[in-house]
Amino acid sequence: MSGLIEAVDSPESLARAAGQLRATVQEKEIDPQTTLTLFEQWASALDDRALGETPGVTFLRLWLRRGTLEPVLLRELGPHSLNGGWREDGRARLRAFPLGVIGHWPAGNIEIQPILSLTCGLLGGNACLVRVPGDLVEISSRIMEKLQDVDRTGLLTERISMVSFDHSRADLHQAMAQGVDGAMIWGGAEAVSQVRGLSFPHWARVVVFGPRLSVAAIDAGVWGDRTEGPGWCRRIARDVWQFDQQACSSPQALFIERAAGCDPNEFVEDLRRAFEEENRAHPPRQMQPALTSAICLARASWLLDDIANRAWFPKSPDWTILLGSGADIPKPTQGRTLSVLQVDDLFEVIRRFDGTVQTLGLGIKDACREETLAQAAGRHGVDRVVRLGQMHVFGSPWDGVDLIRPMVRLVRHVRSQN
Amino acid sequence: MSALADIEQSVETLLATSAYTLAPGERHAALLVLLKQELAYACDRNPRFRNYVEQWPVDFHTADTIAALPYLPVGVFKANPPLALVGADEVKRTLSSSATTGQVPSRVVLDAATARRMTKGIITIIRNFIGPTRRPYLVIDTAENVAAQGEMGARGAAIQGLRSFATEVVCCLRRNPEGDSCLDREKLLACAAKWRHTEVLAYGFTYVIWTDLVQPLQRQGITLEMPNVRILHSGGWKRLEQQAVTKDVFVRDVAAVFGCSADRVIDYYGMVENVGVIYPDCEYGNKHVPAFAEVIVRNPRTLAPVEAGVEGLIQVCSVLPTSFPGFLVLTEDMGEIVDYDGCLCGRRGTSFRFAGRAPKAEVRGCGNLETTRYQ
Repeated sequence: MSGLIEAVDSPESLARAAGQLRATVQEKEIDPQTTLTLFEQWASALDDRALGETPGVTFLRLWLRRGTLEPVLLRELGPHSLNGGWREDGRARLRAFPLGVIGHWPAGNIEIQPILSLTCGLLGGNACLVRVPGDLVEISSRIMEKLQDVDRTGLLTERISMVSFDHSRADLHQAMAQGVDGAMIWGGAEAVSQVRGLSFPHWARVVVFGPRLSVAAIDAGVWGDRTEGPGWCRRIARDVWQFDQQACSSPQALFIERAAGCDPNEFVEDLRRAFEEENRAHPPRQMQPALTSAICLARASWLLDDIANRAWFPKSPDWTILLGSGADIPKPTQGRTLSVLQVDDLFEVIRRFDGTVQTLGLGIKDACREETLAQAAGRHGVDRVVRLGQMHVFGSPWDGVDLIRPMVRLVRHVRSQN
Repeated sequence: MSALADIEQSVETLLATSAYTLAPGERHAALLVLLKQELAYACDRNPRFRNYVEQWPVDFHTADTIAALPYLPVGVFKANPPLALVGADEVKRTLSSSATTGQVPSRVVLDAATARRMTKGIITIIRNFIGPTRRPYLVIDTAENVAAQGEMGARGAAIQGLRSFATEVVCCLRRNPEGDSCLDREKLLACAAKWRHTEVLAYGFTYVIWTDLVQPLQRQGITLEMPNVRILHSGGWKRLEQQAVTKDVFVRDVAAVFGCSADRVIDYYGMVENVGVIYPDCEYGNKHVPAFAEVIVRNPRTLAPVEAGVEGLIQVCSVLPTSFPGFLVLTEDMGEIVDYDGCLCGRRGTSFRFAGRAPKAEVRGCGNLETTRYQ
C-alpha cells in the first residue's frame, strides 16, 4: 500500500489498483493467525495519545484484539478456521478461501468504519479496495500509518488499497464496482441505493449494512425505580451521544411502559440531567445548518402537534427530549433528539416493527419477560437485542449478517483417489 | 382597550413611521415590547402555540432582547391546516410559498387586518426605494398569476403587493398551447415604445425574468430602450446558480436588455411567512430592515446571535401579522449582518446580506432512513 489513501480521478487507476490487489491475493495466501498477530500489534500501536481523542479508536483497539476476533472467526468459519487448513466433511473436505478483492463503501458518519470494514475483508484472506469518504481521509490515514509501522514486510498492507473520490463521481464508483469480487456497503438510504445499483460482476457477493434505525425500551420496573433510574438514564445518554445519533445503532426513540404510581416526569428529569452531563463532557463539535433547522423543527412540531406533548431542550441545538405517548416510531431527527414515548405495553411497540429496526436496547427488570420481548423482536425483524448502554458495541453478526463469512467461499474437495 | 386593539395601535404607529429613520435602540425597545404583547396574544389565541412558548427555555416575559424571544422554525408553516390565530371564518386569504416540485409549500392565513398591514408594509418599504409616484406596472409573468384568488402563491402575492404603485398593469408573458409561459413579444415591444420616456415599474421572479424575458430577447438581439424603468425581482437564485448565472451577470444583462442603468435593477429578499416585509438591496448591495421588523443571524452550532460579519441562519422578525404566529421565524437561509446602523446609503437600522439556502447535510449516516414501510 503506497501513499496510504490515494485521491483517484480516473476509472483506469481504480481498475489498475483492483488488478494489483487480485494478483496479490491469487499468488499469496495469508493464514488467519498471521492476520490476528498483526492486528494485535496494530491495536497496541493505536494506544497513542495523539489518537486518543479520535472517536472510536478505543473501540477499534478492543476490536483488533485476538480475544475479540478469534471467537468471531471460530463462530463464523468453524473450528478449523484459525489454522487456515482443510477440514474433513464426510468423504470430502472443506476449506475457506477468500472471494478475492472486496470493495468497501463505508458510511461517512462513523470515523473508524472504513477500518472496521476492511478488517472483516482481511480476516477472510481477501484484498481490500476501500473508498474512504472525504471527511474521514485524515483520520483513516492516521490509523493506517500505525498498521504500516507494525506490518514492516507488507503482508497486510499489500492487500489494501485505500482511495478517495467525490461521492458524485458515478464513473469512479462504477469502475470500483467492476473491479471487485465482493462488496461491503454501509450507509444511509441514498448512498446505499446508489452503490447497490452499480453494475458488479455477476459473481460478486454484495452485503449491505444499513440503513436501519434503532430504538430503546424500558419497563416501569426499571424507569420507575428512583435509585436505579439515573444509572439507566446515563446509559441511554451514552447510546444517544455516540456517533451523534447518526449510526444505525443509535436510539431515536425510547419507549417507556406505563405503570401505576410511576411518574414519567421524574424519569425525564433524570434523563435531562444525564443529557446535560453527557453534553458537558462531549458537546457537539460542529453542527450543519440543515441539522440545526431540523432540530428546531422537531421541537416546534412536537409541541404544536399536541398540547399534551412536552419537551426539554436548551437554547442551543445540543440535545432535545420530546415526551409524549404512542407506539409508533417518530421520523428520526438525529442530532441528539430523543423521543420518549409512553405506552401501555412494550409488545404493542414491537408488534409494529417491520424490519427497519436494527437494534433494540432494553432495560427490563424481569428476565423472563425480557426473553419474550427479545423473541418477539426477532420475529419482527430486529437483528440485535442488547442491554441499554451497549447499543453500539460492534460485533458479529451485524444487521443479522456475519461479517467475515459472506466474503469467503467454502471450497469442497472430494479426493479423486480413495 | 383589548389586547388586540392595543397591538394594532402600536403596529399602526410603527407603520406610520418612516421605514428607515429610527435609531436602533429606539426601534429595538419598541419592537421588544410589541413582540412580547403579540406572543402573549398568540398564546391566548392558540393553545398549541402556548404549549410551545411555555416550554421554551427562557420565559419570554423576562427577555430583554428580541433574540431571547421564542421563535418558530419556518418549517412549521408547512403544517396542514395552517397554524392560525384566527377562526376559519375570519380568514380572508391564504398565501402559499413557491415550493419546488415534491416540496410541501408553506401556507399562512391572513385576516383583513393582517392583509391590510401587509400591503401597507410593502408600500412603505418600496416607496423608500422607488419614490411614491404611481406609474405603469410591467408584470413579467402571466395574467393568471396576477388574478387574486382565495389562495395565492408567492408570485401572485409579490405581484399584487406592488399594485398600489400602478397606474396600469400589463403582463408580458402568456401561456402557450402546451401550458408553459412564454414571452408575448409584440405586447412587450408595444409597451416599451409607449413608455420609453415614462417612469415604469417592472417586477418578476428572478428566474422568470431570466428565462422568459432576458434570454429570448438576447437571442433576438432586442433592446427595450426603457431607461426610466425600475426592475424589482425576487424569488431566489437557486435555478440561476444551476445555470452558472451570477448576480453580477444577471444585473448586467437585465439592464442591457431594458436599456437602463444597472442600479435600476433591484433584488429583494422576502418570504410569505414574513408577510408585509421585504428586504430590497440598497445601492451598496445591503438589504435593509424596516422599523416594524428585525433580522437576527444565529450561529448554527449554538443558535446564539452572531456578530456582524459572521454567517449564520437568518431569523426574520415582524410585528405585522396577528392572524398567524409569524412574528419570529427562523428561516433555513444563510446570511450575515453587515451592520446594525450606519449604512452609507443613509438608511438606519440593521442591514444584512443573503448568502443562500442552508446546504443540505452531506453526511447522512447509516441511521438515515429516507423511506420506511411505516409511511
